[in-house]
Amino acid sequence: MTTRDDGIGHALDDLAARRARARLGGGAERVAAEHRAGRLTARERIERLVDPGSFVELGLLAHSDRPEAREKSWSDGLVTGFAKVGGRAVAVEATDRTVFAGTEGHVFIRKAVALHALAVKRGLPVFNLAEGGGLRMPDGMGADGISKALMRPETLQGLREAPRLTAILGSSFGLPTWQAVTSDFVVQLAGTGMAVAGPRMLEVATGERVSEEELGGAKLHAETTGQVDVVADTEEQCIAHLQAVFAYLPANARAAPPAVAAADPPDRPVDELTAIVPTQKNRGYDMKRVVRVVFDAGSFYELKAEFGRALVTGLARLAGRPVGVIANNPLRNGGAAGPDECDKAIDFTCLCDAYSIPIVYLHDIPGFAVSSQAERRRMPTRIMTWAQANAAVTVPRASVILRKSIGMAYGNMMGALQGADLLVAWPTAEINFTGPEVGVNVVYHREIRAAADPAAARRALLGRWEQDSSPYRAAGEFLIDDVIDPRETRRILCAWLDAAYANGPVASARRLANWPMGF
Amino acid sequence: MPPVLATINGVVLKVAVAPGDRVAPGDELVVVESMKMEIPVVAEATGRVEAVLCAEGETVREGEPLLLIGGA
Repeated sequence: MTTRDDGIGHALDDLAARRARARLGGGAERVAAEHRAGRLTARERIERLVDPGSFVELGLLAHSDRPEAREKSWSDGLVTGFAKVGGRAVAVEATDRTVFAGTEGHVFIRKAVALHALAVKRGLPVFNLAEGGGLRMPDGMGADGISKALMRPETLQGLREAPRLTAILGSSFGLPTWQAVTSDFVVQLAGTGMAVAGPRMLEVATGERVSEEELGGAKLHAETTGQVDVVADTEEQCIAHLQAVFAYLPANARAAPPAVAAADPPDRPVDELTAIVPTQKNRGYDMKRVVRVVFDAGSFYELKAEFGRALVTGLARLAGRPVGVIANNPLRNGGAAGPDECDKAIDFTCLCDAYSIPIVYLHDIPGFAVSSQAERRRMPTRIMTWAQANAAVTVPRASVILRKSIGMAYGNMMGALQGADLLVAWPTAEINFTGPEVGVNVVYHREIRAAADPAAARRALLGRWEQDSSPYRAAGEFLIDDVIDPRETRRILCAWLDAAYANGPVASARRLANWPMGF
Repeated sequence: MPPVLATINGVVLKVAVAPGDRVAPGDELVVVESMKMEIPVVAEATGRVEAVLCAEGETVREGEPLLLIGGA
């Protein structure tokens, strides 16, 4: 140890003391209270997320611009910096609840804006360990306060240029909520609430008394709003989800999705498929089982599992390369896609388009949900918004028809003449404008009604129509590429991706990258 | 427990349980036919069937209660 009487020594001691004090944010007592409540502090969360020793903090010594608040507002409630995750450079921000409950003061906002600008300028992914009560009071009050604190348009630019991955780790109102719903991926900690405003604000503003759980709990978002992708039970699990999903994504829009060394042979026959898919075509089965056996073993990472459950979306790998999966799930409503399924497909298509992730479609859909309820939820607009996304998307796409693919849904699932590199059907495929039973009923309703035996008449007509639905008709006119043995599905998909990547990763034209993040 | 609801408009093809029956998660309760698919409605928790609110052949609408199930 050098002596401390040479000037620089005092300066170093002073710096160390200041930094140590600042790391306590709102103070040692508040940090202890967080620990007693079983919660991690902002910097502890960052330590668990990033590669050991890689975090470089920016703005540690910042504090509130209100002089009287200085000593209890170190870093002003937001910890920011750069680091590495899985060996790749990233930007990180974490709300510090020990400083005014993680609310946004003017300096907090300056730090958030600066981190976003740095991330956009350098193409860095942003990891956001979020919570907090919104704009700080009284800082944001008054015509001057709110005028200075409005969300800056530049923080809503450059989205989808690099992934923004958010964990909601505590009560979130205002900014953390805005950030979450404009992120590429959101995991919410069970037991937390995420909403526009908190229950105490609602109580005064409208008289509504509602718990935080009812207002914006993880179950609500996972099942009903679709505004979070995954729910986890602990902070550590939330952080593990951020790392897991990042492993499929490129660091930014100019990079290729990261491939890994593949252990699962690309030509592995998928013998299990014949047992998973029932021969009776009106029986459901779990499409997720199909996905798990076709793609690389253990590689399927599902998104929005509990939202719009008749359609499955997720990331997976084929021979080590990331791909997106959009698959109907006949286990839920027979696979019929309703308004939520449309939103889910659109959202996921935008993600894949922005980050050059090829998409595989697995069809088993009896059609879009036709009902008065769906019409009231703007079903035509949702179906056509999905179709518009498909018309714009340029990443390599492959499409496999397992059983049913009916009507407009056949098109939206990347059916014939929709731009897929590869469109194949299993021999069990049934492709038509509508199910033959419905078609016969619409076209021949007079004959059927007039027949001596209407049931027999319907059966006779049906026999003729079912023939028309077979995939060989489409294969015969080269409207689909082939009819394949289901056990060859994996081999063919791996060969397709190999061909697509023959000249290196295919860069998306990214026409959907500027669609609002609500999709 | 909240009532078990229909998730799609359709016709009740089969009621697989009767009042008093014990059910466990995954047990088939009702099968609704819709879009020419047989759509099973399964128990999400353990319990006892308190009332059956639908009948085979009956048309049901999305969100309509099909069964009441009480705690085991």
